[in-house]
Amino acid sequence: MPDQKPETVRLTIDGTTVAVPKGTLVIEAARRVGVMIPHFCYHPKLKPDANCRMCLVEVEKMPKLQTACSTPVAEGMAVRTATTTVDDAHKSVLEFILANHPLDCPVCDQGGKCDLQDFSHQYTPTTSRFTETKRIFQKEYFSPLIETQMNRCVQCLRCVRYCDEIMDVKALAPVGRGTMTEIKHFGPHELDCEFCGGCIQICPVGAITSRLSMYEYRPWMLKRADTICTFCGDGCRITVQTKGNELIEVNSAHGAGRNNGDLCARGFFGFHASSDADRLTHPLIRREGKLVEATWEDALEYVAEQALRLKLAHSADAFGGLITSRCTNEDLYVFQKFMRQVIGTNRIDSSARYGHLNGVQALRRVQGTHRWTIAFEDIVAANALLLVGTNITETSPITGLKVKEAVKKRQASLVTMEALQPAIDTLSNITNLALQHFPTHPAQFGNTVLGLTKAVIEGNLVDATLAQQAPAFVQRLTSALQGISWENLEAVTGQTRTQWTETAKILAGANRLVILVGNGVLRHPGGDATVTNLLDLLILLGKLDKPGCGLGPLAEENNDQGAVEMGAVAEFFPGPAPLDDQPVRDRIATVWREELPRTPGASLTEMLAAANKGSLKALFVVGENPVGTLPAEAQAAEALGKLDLLVCQELFLTETAAMAHVVLPACSYMEKDGTFTNSEGHVQGVRQAINPVGDSRPDWEMFSALSVLMGSPLEYGDAREILKEIRTVIPGYGLLGPTPTPPKVDQAVLSGYLTQGFAGDAATRYAVSQPRQTGDGSFTLMFVQTLFHSGKLSTHSKGLLQLQQEGFLSINPEDAARLDLADGGQVKVSNSRGAITTTVKIRERVPAGLLWFPEHFDGEAKQLAEWTIDPRTQIPYFKLAHVSLAKVS
Amino acid sequence: MNVAVTTQPKRKPSFGDWLKTLTFYELLVGMKATLTHLLNYKPITLQYPHEKRLLPDNYRGMLALLRYDDGTEKCVGCDLCEAACPSRVIRVVSGEVPGEPTKRYSKEYYMDMTRCLFCGLCVDACPVDALGMTREFEWAVYDKRQLHLNKQQLLAIGDRSFPVREKRLELQHPNVAFFNVTFKHLPQKEN
Repeated sequence: MPDQKPETVRLTIDGTTVAVPKGTLVIEAARRVGVMIPHFCYHPKLKPDANCRMCLVEVEKMPKLQTACSTPVAEGMAVRTATTTVDDAHKSVLEFILANHPLDCPVCDQGGKCDLQDFSHQYTPTTSRFTETKRIFQKEYFSPLIETQMNRCVQCLRCVRYCDEIMDVKALAPVGRGTMTEIKHFGPHELDCEFCGGCIQICPVGAITSRLSMYEYRPWMLKRADTICTFCGDGCRITVQTKGNELIEVNSAHGAGRNNGDLCARGFFGFHASSDADRLTHPLIRREGKLVEATWEDALEYVAEQALRLKLAHSADAFGGLITSRCTNEDLYVFQKFMRQVIGTNRIDSSARYGHLNGVQALRRVQGTHRWTIAFEDIVAANALLLVGTNITETSPITGLKVKEAVKKRQASLVTMEALQPAIDTLSNITNLALQHFPTHPAQFGNTVLGLTKAVIEGNLVDATLAQQAPAFVQRLTSALQGISWENLEAVTGQTRTQWTETAKILAGANRLVILVGNGVLRHPGGDATVTNLLDLLILLGKLDKPGCGLGPLAEENNDQGAVEMGAVAEFFPGPAPLDDQPVRDRIATVWREELPRTPGASLTEMLAAANKGSLKALFVVGENPVGTLPAEAQAAEALGKLDLLVCQELFLTETAAMAHVVLPACSYMEKDGTFTNSEGHVQGVRQAINPVGDSRPDWEMFSALSVLMGSPLEYGDAREILKEIRTVIPGYGLLGPTPTPPKVDQAVLSGYLTQGFAGDAATRYAVSQPRQTGDGSFTLMFVQTLFHSGKLSTHSKGLLQLQQEGFLSINPEDAARLDLADGGQVKVSNSRGAITTTVKIRERVPAGLLWFPEHFDGEAKQLAEWTIDPRTQIPYFKLAHVSLAKVS
Repeated sequence: MNVAVTTQPKRKPSFGDWLKTLTFYELLVGMKATLTHLLNYKPITLQYPHEKRLLPDNYRGMLALLRYDDGTEKCVGCDLCEAACPSRVIRVVSGEVPGEPTKRYSKEYYMDMTRCLFCGLCVDACPVDALGMTREFEWAVYDKRQLHLNKQQLLAIGDRSFPVREKRLELQHPNVAFFNVTFKHLPQKEN
C-alpha cells in the first residue's frame, strides 16, 4: 500500500462540510456524512457507469444536475441532494423505470430487499402517467441455478460489469437497445460460467435471482448467521440465511470478511450439503457384522471400554488418530489433546499432510514462521505476482480475485507457472492476464523455478547486501546453477531462456513481490524442495523480508493452517512446536496438568503401514476417508480391516465409515461454533446457523464425553472455553484477533538458514529432476480440483451437483483431434495399474499432453494414480498418473 | 375547569308531594310501564339457532381462501398476510406450482383460528384478493384443534361462501399481464 498521505478535498454536502481524499466520488463523500443518494448502477466495487441516472444531485455553479456516482469531488464544491429539482429528477427516473417494471413484487424473490421498491416508496407518487402496455421479453431458459426475469431488469448493467471487472469471466452481455436491452449470456445453450452468484448478489432488483432458493422465502423471515465457508483455504465470510431450521440462502455482504462480499460457486450454491438426506443422524455400532443404530450412551461406552481394553493389552502407541482439517480449531485441539493426554500417543495426523505441510515446513525452515508473511491486501497491492502451480481460479477462487484485482485494477505484472494454457473459456483463466506465462508440466515446476533462479543469478539481479552478508549461500547456489546448462533446462521444461531472463527482470524490478504456491506444487513430488527454492529466490532478490513481499502456500482445505497450528499432525505440538521442544512441552504440560507423550509421532502413511503390520490396533478417524481417497496402492482398506477398533466420526457413511466398528454422527460447519484459520492465517469465527441434524454432535463434544468415560476428563462448556485454553497454550494466539498483522521473518532463523541450513539438501534441490520413466503412456493424467467441488461435502450439495455430477476427462483439442475424440465421446484411459472408460470433454485450457480428471469423482480412476511418499515431510503423493488413451466407439 | 359547587337549598315538601307519597304514585307509574309491555308483548330475544340475526354488510367472519372463475387458486404464496397478521395466525409455505415452472403458489397454508382477532389486516394486505372474510361465525368446536385450518379447508370455506368468482387477474387488468406466469418450456425447479 502506498505510504504517502493522500491529498484531501473539502466540499459541502447538504450544508455539511466534509474532507475526503482527492478523486473520491460525490456519492461516496455523501455516504461519509450519512447522506444516502439513491442509485442502481453504482457499486463501490465497480467502475462508475452512470447509466441509471438515479443519483442526480445539484452542484452549485453547474447548470445541470450531475450524477453523483461519476462526479469526482472538487475543492469547495457545494452539493445538494434534497432540493425540489433533485426530487423531480428522482420521480421522473423512477416513473420511467416503472413504466416497464412489472408490479409483481408479491411473487418476486427480491421483494422486501429491493432497491427499486425502497426508492419507489421514498420518492414516487403512487400513480403513473403511463397507460401503455409494459414491455415483455421472451423468456429463455438461463441456467439450473440462476433465474432471470428480464421484465424486471432496470438495465443498470451491474451484473455485466461485475462479471467482467471483478470475476473476469465475461459470461453476461447486454443485448438490444434502449428499454429493450436485455441481459443475456453467449451461445444457444444454457448459461455456463463460474456460477459465482455475483450477478444474483449485485442485482438491485429481482431480475437475476437464485433458482436454488426460488420462492422458498421472504427476506424478513430469514435468520442470519455470519460464518466462514468451508470449501477452500480462502476463508470467506458467508451469511447463512435460514428459515426455521431450513437452509435457504447464502450470501456475503459487500465489505464483509476477507472476501469483501465476493463468493464462488461452492460458497454461494454449496450450502445444501449440511441438510442432505444422507446425513448420519444416529450413532452406529457394528453388531454381528452389521452397523446398527445405537444410543449415544451405548456407542460411547463401547468405544471407551474397547479403547481401555486395548490400551491395557497393548500400549498407547497401538492407537492412532486421523482428523480432517475441515474441522474447527477447537475440534482439532481437543482431538490432539484427547490423543496425547487421554490415550497417550503422538500418532496423530490430519489432512494437512496431503500437501499443506510441505509449505509450512519450508516456511518454518527458511523464515521461521508457520504463516504467511503477507496478507490478501499485499496481493492486491503487489507490483509483481508469481503464481506457481495454483490453478487459482479453480482451487482458491477468492485469492484469485485478489490477483485479478491487482492485475486489472492496479496493473501488477503477473507471472504464472501453471499447468494451464491461456484460453478464452467459460471459466476465467488466470494465465490470460499473465505478462509472462510458463506452461508447465506438473512434474516440471521445480525445474522451471530453477531456470528462474538461474536467470536471476546470471542476470546479476542478486541483492547486493545479500552477497555481502551470506556469500556462502550465494556462491553455493551460483555454482550449483552454473552446473546446470540452459540447454538441459530448456529441453526438460520446454521453456525458453529469454523468457526466464525477461521474467527475472520483472520480478527483480518489483518493489512488492508476492509469490503464491498452489497444490500443483504442494501436492506433487518435490513440493517441499520447490517451495524452499522459491523462498531462496525471494532471498536472492533481497525481497523475503521487505514489506509487502513474501511467499504464500495456498491451503486446499479451509483449516489446513489451523490443523498445523493446533498440533493435529504427527510432528507438532500446538503452536506449532516440534515434539522435542522442551520449553513448549513444559508449558503445555502445566496447562494440561499432565506429562506429554515422548514417543515419536506417526504420519498417515506410517499409521497405515503399522496397521498392516498389526502394531496399530485402534484408529480414531474424524471426517477423513482414507479408503475412499487414497489409491489402492496405499492399502488403506486392508490396513483398516485389520484394526481391533475403528471409530469414525462422520457426516455421511463413507467407505471408511462403512468399515468402522463404531460410527458417531458429527455436526457440519453449519451446526457448530468455533474458529477456522484461513491460508493467510486469519482466525475467523464460525457460528451455528441451524440445529444439529438428528442426534449429531460437534466432534469436540464426543472426545470430551469419551475422555470422561475413560477416566481422564477433558471437560469444556462450549467452544469458547476451548479457544480460551488454546490461547493459554499458544503464546500470542489471543492477540491475533480477526485481522492479525502477518508475522515478520524471523531473522535468527533466516541467518541460520543462510549460513548452514540451506546446505544440507542444496545439492538435491539445485539439480535438474528428471521426469520419471514409467513406460506407462505418453499422457500425464492429473487429478485436479474443480471449481464446483471441494472437500467431502460438495458432492452432497444439490446445487453443486447440478453444475457437475460426474467425472470426465478434460483434454486439449489438438490431442483430441489426433486421437479422433469428440466432445462427449467415450475414451479408455489405461496404464499398468488398470483401465477406466470415461467421457471426454475438450477444453482449450488443458495443455497438450496433459489430461485432467476431477478428484471428486475419481472413484475408479484413482487406481491409475502413482503413489509416492515424500521422504522428508512424509507426504503421500497420488495426484498424477501416466496413461495412454484409446477411443471407445 | 372551574365548576362552582353550589348546594341547592332544601325545598320544603308541598302538599302534592305528600299526596304522591301517600298514594304510591311512583309505583303506579312503574306498573303502568310494566302493564303496557305486558299487553303489547314483542320479544327481542332471538330464538337462536332457530332464528338468525341479520348481519351488517361489513361483518368480518371466518377467513377463507378464494379461487378465480376457472377454479384456480388465487393465492400466490407471497406471505404478505403472514407478515401483516398481528397475532401470528397464518403460516404460508410457498413454492413453485408443480408442472408450471416459475409460477409461485402457496404449497401449504395454515391458519390457527384460535388466535385470530378478525381484524382483517390479512385481507387488506393480500395483493391478489385471495383472502376473504366470510359471514360465517358458527365455529364453536369441542376440540380446539379443529380450528387449525389447512389450505383445503380454507378453500372449501371460500367455495361455499363466495359462489361468484372473479376473472383471472390478467383478464381484469391487461397492463399487469406479467404477473406470476408459467413458462412451460422451462424445467421444473428441483426440490
